[in-house]
Amino acid sequence: MVEAVCGACCQEKEDSFKAPQRAAMMPDLRAIKADWNFIMKNGDGWRDHLAVALNSIQDSIGRFSPSGKMGISGLLLIVFIAIFAPFVTFYEPSAISGMSLEPPGPEHILGTDELGMDIWSQICYGARMSLLIGLAVAMISGLGGGFLGLMAGYMGGNWDRALLRTIDITMALPSFPLLIVIAAFLNPSILNVMLVLVFLSWAKPARVVRSQALAMKKQQYIISARLHGAGPVYIIRRHIMPEALPLIFVSILNISSYAIVAESGLAFLGLGDPTSKSWGMMLHYATSFRSIYFTPYWQWWLMPPLIALIFLLLCLAFIGRDMERIVDPRLRSRGGQ
Amino acid sequence: MSLLEIRGLFIDYYSDRDAFRAVDDLNLTLERGEVIGLAGESGSGKTTLGLAIMGLLPDNVRSSGSILFQGEDLVAMQDSDKDRIRWRHIAMVFQNSLEVLNPVIRMVDQVSEPMIEHLGLGKEQARARCVRLFEQVGLDSVWLDAYPHQLSGGMRQRALLAMALSCDPDILILDEVTSALDAFTKKEISDLLCRLQKTADCSMILISHDITFLSAVSTRMAVLYAGRIMELGATSEIINYPMHPYTRGLINSTPGIFLYRDLWGIPGEAPSGQVRGCPFFGRCTQRVDLCSRQPPRLLPVRVPASAEGMTVGSSERDVACHLGGVVTLLRASGLNYSYRLSDGKLLDAVKDVSLDLREGEVMAVVGQTGSGKSTLAHMLAGVMGSDVGEIFFDGKKMNGDRYGSGYGGIQIVFQDPASSTSSRLSVLDAVKEPLDINGLHSPRERIELVASALSSVGLPTTDEFLRRHCGELSGGQRQRVAIARALIMRPKLLIADEITASLDVSSAANILRMLKGLQNCRGFAMIYITHDLMIALKASDRIAVMDGGRIIETGNSHYVMLYPRQEATKRLVGARIHKSSGGNCI
Amino acid sequence: MKGRGTKGVAFQYATALFLILVLNFFLPRMMPGDPFLILSADSENEVISVLTEEQRQYFISYYGLDRPIYEQFAGYIFSVARGDLGESIYYKVPVWEAIWTRLPWTALIVLGATLMSTVAGVLLGLYSARHRDGPADKILMAGLISFAEIPSFLLGLVILLAFSVKLKAFPLAGAITPFAHYSHPLDAIWDIGYHASLPMITLSLTQLTGIFLLTRNTLVTVMTRDYIRTARAKGIGERLVWNRHALRNALLPVVTRVGFMIGMLMGGAVLVENVFSYPGVGSLLRSSVIARDYPLIQGIMLVMAFSILTANYLVEIVYERLDPRTSSGEAA
Repeated sequence: MVEAVCGACCQEKEDSFKAPQRAAMMPDLRAIKADWNFIMKNGDGWRDHLAVALNSIQDSIGRFSPSGKMGISGLLLIVFIAIFAPFVTFYEPSAISGMSLEPPGPEHILGTDELGMDIWSQICYGARMSLLIGLAVAMISGLGGGFLGLMAGYMGGNWDRALLRTIDITMALPSFPLLIVIAAFLNPSILNVMLVLVFLSWAKPARVVRSQALAMKKQQYIISARLHGAGPVYIIRRHIMPEALPLIFVSILNISSYAIVAESGLAFLGLGDPTSKSWGMMLHYATSFRSIYFTPYWQWWLMPPLIALIFLLLCLAFIGRDMERIVDPRLRSRGGQ
Repeated sequence: MSLLEIRGLFIDYYSDRDAFRAVDDLNLTLERGEVIGLAGESGSGKTTLGLAIMGLLPDNVRSSGSILFQGEDLVAMQDSDKDRIRWRHIAMVFQNSLEVLNPVIRMVDQVSEPMIEHLGLGKEQARARCVRLFEQVGLDSVWLDAYPHQLSGGMRQRALLAMALSCDPDILILDEVTSALDAFTKKEISDLLCRLQKTADCSMILISHDITFLSAVSTRMAVLYAGRIMELGATSEIINYPMHPYTRGLINSTPGIFLYRDLWGIPGEAPSGQVRGCPFFGRCTQRVDLCSRQPPRLLPVRVPASAEGMTVGSSERDVACHLGGVVTLLRASGLNYSYRLSDGKLLDAVKDVSLDLREGEVMAVVGQTGSGKSTLAHMLAGVMGSDVGEIFFDGKKMNGDRYGSGYGGIQIVFQDPASSTSSRLSVLDAVKEPLDINGLHSPRERIELVASALSSVGLPTTDEFLRRHCGELSGGQRQRVAIARALIMRPKLLIADEITASLDVSSAANILRMLKGLQNCRGFAMIYITHDLMIALKASDRIAVMDGGRIIETGNSHYVMLYPRQEATKRLVGARIHKSSGGNCI
Repeated sequence: MKGRGTKGVAFQYATALFLILVLNFFLPRMMPGDPFLILSADSENEVISVLTEEQRQYFISYYGLDRPIYEQFAGYIFSVARGDLGESIYYKVPVWEAIWTRLPWTALIVLGATLMSTVAGVLLGLYSARHRDGPADKILMAGLISFAEIPSFLLGLVILLAFSVKLKAFPLAGAITPFAHYSHPLDAIWDIGYHASLPMITLSLTQLTGIFLLTRNTLVTVMTRDYIRTARAKGIGERLVWNRHALRNALLPVVTRVGFMIGMLMGGAVLVENVFSYPGVGSLLRSSVIARDYPLIQGIMLVMAFSILTANYLVEIVYERLDPRTSSGEAA
């Protein structure tokens, strides 16, 4: 062992003599070429990132806690019902298929509402509504906001300052009152609701990703990559993206919860799309029914959408919490390493 | 009764998977008014020991043994009882960091808190006392109402000190108080501590990896390694004459003690897991079989008479080493040698020289031309016998034995590169020669050994080079070949007789650095004969000054060079150092 | 939060407020078609608001649709600054008055819930942190986290169904017992508290977990800090270490959280009031939505937005004062 140490002591001098010379003679040419090769080889980069993301998701699922796994199974169940709604129901959701306010029975497994529409059908088709809104809003604002944050954080300068200001102001906006008033004035269509939700929810992922990019930019391996001649494209793809994607993914989960809650809240207030049969709208109709609490109707009219919503949100929350724990071990044991 | 007595203390950190022993069978006493320094690399258990005395070890720790404060055992004590002693009797100045003080509480409240709790002072009284304390540590009282983040690092350290002094503790533990400070503030704090020690009559435990700081403030010093005390004794004496190989390495790694000396770290890493034997085993240059099997106990040793420059036997020294500390490798006494001149007169080249050399030590023998340096070197190497006197090497008396004929002996490298190796021989044959002569190893192994020896001295190992004749080499290369030939015999002592005298400056510097590097990681002892004092000061642990065949002065190279006692030394030093500094046009 | 001066914060909130005013101003003008021609009817409500010609004229003059746009905007800002939010079409009273009669009820449950969740959250968080990884801590963590994920109005419905409909332990609706005569002021307070308790509990349950987790986790982190070790070394006792040194640091983020909580509780109250038919601003908002009472909707939203922004702004200011590290006396 002593020999080896000695060898190292003596070898060091030779190397330290050669290395600066080498560096002086070949100014980063090789590094630039390597960067170029990398980009050429991975020409369709999105596929690469998708693979990275899928891999990390796959890894993560293995590390889910029991509650996280429960969440995933629950979410899959709801997704299944939503996709195969026509096959698991017997009636169109807006078809008057029975008597008004029939209790659950063989004809209508969850009974009927005031207009004689099948409640089970409404639940199944309503799932589509909630999932669609949640997913669409979350994808747009999560990816869009994340992208903005990434760019601003990495580029810095005036763009970053402007974005930070915008984020601050957007986050200061009281979202729910704003949502109500916009929904009240605009056409209560699903599209409008989604646009408003995106407008109100992009700031958080942008902020999270921005600060991540900002922190990473100062990491020494990124600085040295840049000194080796790597361009921003390379650095963002190779170093920053893989770190930022899980954060974006967590944001997407959280935003989809938020969007689902917001939509059903609006619908509950009577600001939903009257043409849609969302779970929120069901709640709205049920609670608007006069003295529903003095009749037994609430048991099959109010309970199903209520339970469905709570179930969906809990599933999302369980997944989200596990994801957060998995992608950021620092959250669990800060200062551990 | 001692003020503080630590007996058989073990501290283990437990994690999910394994345990780590931070303090291992530690015994230490602290008397009233004494300042003891705990030195050691990071992870040696210094801070853990400090926290253990305060009773502040984290939950994942198990400890056994006892820490007796005025007879009360702090280890076995309940938390509520500890609170009675904490700060009132034993206070701690923590390592400075932004978070060591509560960021949301004003300084005055943090400093007076213990006074209110322990001394029962009122708020106003406590504040008045704070003002005095701040004065004492050299802080303006305007900072009383400041928050910690408003203070600079040095000010924070002073405030921490004021806080620790607030209840007039009997023992003050100072944990790395100077490590985060700049040189100037460091000096101020260490002066402040010296002052405090005189006025406040409290005992101190200084924890620091900075031996310079410890040497300035502490009276006694304990060197910790892997949770054990390796050496314990008076601070100045330990620094001047370390007895444990680890202490010596630590001192060599510390800049600022001996300003002109080169910096050499201890090779290897501290042990990471449990070790059965001596924890320093893996890095020790004088280890024996026993060291790997059984941990050494801290026992008193005699500081040998050769520990020049200190009053011998004045204080006790404890060392944890099976060999009783760094062993004496070579002991020569009463050496004499005279040349018979052509006219029949005798010329005393070496007169009554006695010399001790310790394992792994580098001793420079300096002197003017004709002072007898080379003759002494040749006698020690066995090139020539002495007329009178005897030489012990490795505990055995040397009677004309050739200690160079086997491994672990003495090897010498001579001055003149042109004649040190035969011009006729190829490099391979020249280096291989000692192996051939002694019939060591098979021919194939010999070639491998030659290659490794050559690469360790920084020479190529290609076939072409191996076949080259020594005559074709440059002076520097030939000297390297000579060194490789010496090293191939794995000497315990290498005598280098003016090996760079005939080389140009750059190759001389390269060879010297290489040799010192090899010495540092292989740990052989070296006697370095030179007339160049600057080189002696840079490379050697001790210096022996020769004049007229006698050794007129020996000692720690730093002290010999900077504070010479003999006229001849002064002349020599004056001729070198002053001239060179005077000629410096910066 | 750090690194921004008070000015920056003020600018941020001023801009947000301005944005809301602009939105409020332009929204009615962006409505498709002629909004005032809607002959609206909500099938299951008897409130059918068909705009009379008289009301139509009121709208046009209120919104000043006959004047140039910048003049309209200036006029709008001016009247809002004066406190003139227009006149409610349905209630036929000034918007401000309609809101003012309902505001105390909302304030009661929002502030009550803020207080309840903060106090309970901090106490539970402190308890949990002190008994970290013990059985009580684990039960609290698991139990409270589930509450955090259910939005307030769904939780409210569950609570209403359980306690009012099934157990009949609490009233189904209202803020006071109708036509009650109180013989003693305490009776009135009792009655008000009795009616407010379920909405208040619902609201505080949704925020409790946040405060609890924040307190607990901050405390756990704070307890590993060096200054806690310093405090322990001083021998002042574990109680003071927690209450003086740890809690004070852990409460700083809680203060921020409380501010943003008020905003969330306001939003939540709109829905929860409707669940419990509690006569606050939220119920007013729903009836005005159903009645398409646009000036009232806008007025409510403005009042709510203004109070939320003010609350958040105040919290940031208070926080900067509380944390010496961000306070302005730092230039030492």
